[in-house]
Amino acid sequence: MLGKLDWSAIPFDQPIPLAAGAVVLVAILAVLAWVVAKGHLPYLWHEWITSVDHKRIGVMYILLASVMLLRGGSDAIMMRIQQAVAYQSQGYLPPEHYNQIFSAHGTIMIFFVAMPFVIGLMNLVVPLQLGVRDVAFPTLNSVGFWMTATGALLVNISLVVGEFARTGWLAFPPLSELSYSPGVGVDYYAWSLQISGVGTLVAGINLVTTVLKLRTKGMNYLRMPMFCWTTLASNLLIVAAFPILTATLAMLLLDRYLGFHFFTNEAGGNVMMFMNLIWAWGHPEVYILVLPAFGIFSEVVSTFSGKALFGYRSMVLATMAICVISFMVWLHHFFTMGAGPDVNAIFGIASMIIAVPTGVKIYNWLFTMYGGRIRFATPMLWAVGFMVTFIVGGLTGVLLAVPPADFMLHNSMFLVAHFHNVIIGGVLFGAFAGFEYWFPKAFGFRLDERWGRAAFWFTFLGFYVTFMPLYIAGMLGMTRRMQHYDVAAWRPWMIVAAVGMAVLTIGVIGQIVQLVVSIRNREALRDRTGDPWDGRSLEWATSSPPPVFNFAFNPDVRGEDAYWDMKVHARQQSLEHDRPDYQDIEMPRNSPTGFVCAFFATIMGFALIWHIWWMVVLGGLGAWATFVVFAWRDHDEYVIPAEDVAAIDRINREERRGLVSMAGTV
Amino acid sequence: MSDQTHARTDHDLAPGEEEQHSVGARILGYVVGLALALLLTATSFFIAGTDLVWQPSIPVALIVLAIAQMGVHLVFFLHITTGPDNTNNVLALAFGLLVVFLVVGGTVWIMAHLNANMPPMDQIMRMQ
Repeated sequence: MLGKLDWSAIPFDQPIPLAAGAVVLVAILAVLAWVVAKGHLPYLWHEWITSVDHKRIGVMYILLASVMLLRGGSDAIMMRIQQAVAYQSQGYLPPEHYNQIFSAHGTIMIFFVAMPFVIGLMNLVVPLQLGVRDVAFPTLNSVGFWMTATGALLVNISLVVGEFARTGWLAFPPLSELSYSPGVGVDYYAWSLQISGVGTLVAGINLVTTVLKLRTKGMNYLRMPMFCWTTLASNLLIVAAFPILTATLAMLLLDRYLGFHFFTNEAGGNVMMFMNLIWAWGHPEVYILVLPAFGIFSEVVSTFSGKALFGYRSMVLATMAICVISFMVWLHHFFTMGAGPDVNAIFGIASMIIAVPTGVKIYNWLFTMYGGRIRFATPMLWAVGFMVTFIVGGLTGVLLAVPPADFMLHNSMFLVAHFHNVIIGGVLFGAFAGFEYWFPKAFGFRLDERWGRAAFWFTFLGFYVTFMPLYIAGMLGMTRRMQHYDVAAWRPWMIVAAVGMAVLTIGVIGQIVQLVVSIRNREALRDRTGDPWDGRSLEWATSSPPPVFNFAFNPDVRGEDAYWDMKVHARQQSLEHDRPDYQDIEMPRNSPTGFVCAFFATIMGFALIWHIWWMVVLGGLGAWATFVVFAWRDHDEYVIPAEDVAAIDRINREERRGLVSMAGTV
Repeated sequence: MSDQTHARTDHDLAPGEEEQHSVGARILGYVVGLALALLLTATSFFIAGTDLVWQPSIPVALIVLAIAQMGVHLVFFLHITTGPDNTNNVLALAFGLLVVFLVVGGTVWIMAHLNANMPPMDQIMRMQ
């Protein structure tokens, strides 16, 4: 009846996950009870859960990423403490628990923190920057988000029902095959990634189509803001690379469920093919994450330097070059597998070449700042912190791209330090910069600057104190993923790293406090102009938060930095005073399709993990029926009458009039 | 929403969006495509079994026919043209082909070298 599921799946003998799970469960129930008791449920359902508005979906993506960041961060804290205490002892985490923690940490941080954070920011901002009213496929967008949430939910269920993979974040066979991992851990891993992979793929298709097909009048490719270009490149990579991940995990699942031998040791399976395929996805994946961050920094650096981006066209070229070259370097993740000097040399050189367009970008940002009137607001602090940190991470990356050096450093703590250096210093700093920068746009009030600065400095310093010691430990020969060790020379560095982790944690708490303080002081921090930073691109041309239709009129773009041009233009000709001719606007209707599909996908995923076959059929049929009902809908749009559009737009025009007379100084 | 899409359609059409042709002309296009595809398929089966041509030329002929088949599909069914309204589709095809070429070609190359350099343990034992 219930497949492999019975009471032994609940880890009653392990207090840590059980207590954590109980606390989370109580918290969720308390929030739900509060929502129901206060009568917020209808609002939540109609305005958020079923919303197909790209801005709201973007906000929900970022909320998901933030919650999962706390989960992945807790795993990180536990690992740092374990390695600080586990010198010539077992520490406080038994090996099978420690292995689950580092696997969950990697999986969560990449798939359920970094990915939703950058996809959320792209969703929130790109249609606004392109001057359009929504993404190309609004309901599909909602389906994509809820599928990602399903994956995150399944990973979290594994905390209390069953176990998570003990195989590392990429589940290398033969360890991840049935003979070595007979439990449900790898199944939790694979099915949550398959389901959230569907979500990522549709988000990618959606954003590529949006950038290619929906641009406002005059928004040529070479007038698009840099963030739109990096979004295009990143989503092209999603569309090209994620099918490889899906196919690879499908083959692993066939091995595990139906006795195939793709990656087994025996019967002609080839373990090395798994490494090859997973990294053919995995390397483009790191550029999927970091390219949008590069776009965010381009926007932030240009805005806070008060200058147009230096070398816009070289930046576009560098972005697209990275997009293509990222598919030519994947072997550098397994130089030591033994493909030989010819293969290693070619891929090593390609890996060094990809640093060139990245270096071009760094110089472009520096030259954008040069001679500018720089304001060190919180987003700009993250951008400058990124430049310093990312250069260090990039240089250690070029070092690792040299095959002989990689033979020494492969799978050591040096590698761990390197990829945290580029992912935290690149992607996470970028996500935080984007969060601080676009928060006023999404919610209509700024974030508290004092707490923002404090959070930045603690995170920045905490990062260095945590990860620089790991470089040294790696040089001293410490391998990654050690549950305990007996080498005295490593011990001090592990203790320093644990201290750094504490500083990092203060930084994260600082950001939570910043959010709470800002929400409390929101009236004082209110931005009525829609343009709090004296911005340059079109998202600042509408109110904050933008109306559901984004723009009362499709903006007419006449050059790069479209909104900056408009401000200059309006100041010279006082065009703000004309009385425009408002028209009815058609917008897509909200739809529960995404949420209901994801509900059934959760049931199906859980049933697949536990081999409950009748429930698999039930979930599959439910999801399919939801799709059919959606496909048969009669009314998919509603009309906002011209008077309403006028009423909403006039308020914004009034607020903005004062701004235009001040800003837009050339 | 809709006004933006319509404003752009005269520059850039997705496959199946062409409105200027009549239904008859479009059906004719599909019929011609189907006929060519069937002809190429039949020829491939015929060539594979025949002894009328020089035998070593058969694999080459099959490769040529397969590429022609892909071309027929792209032109008649996926509506890839060289027209200026089709730039996005051609670029998407080129990017897709490049990625497939890199991943498949790279994989074959890497795995061939691995097979040569890293034989299974029992083979190494036998060599010693």
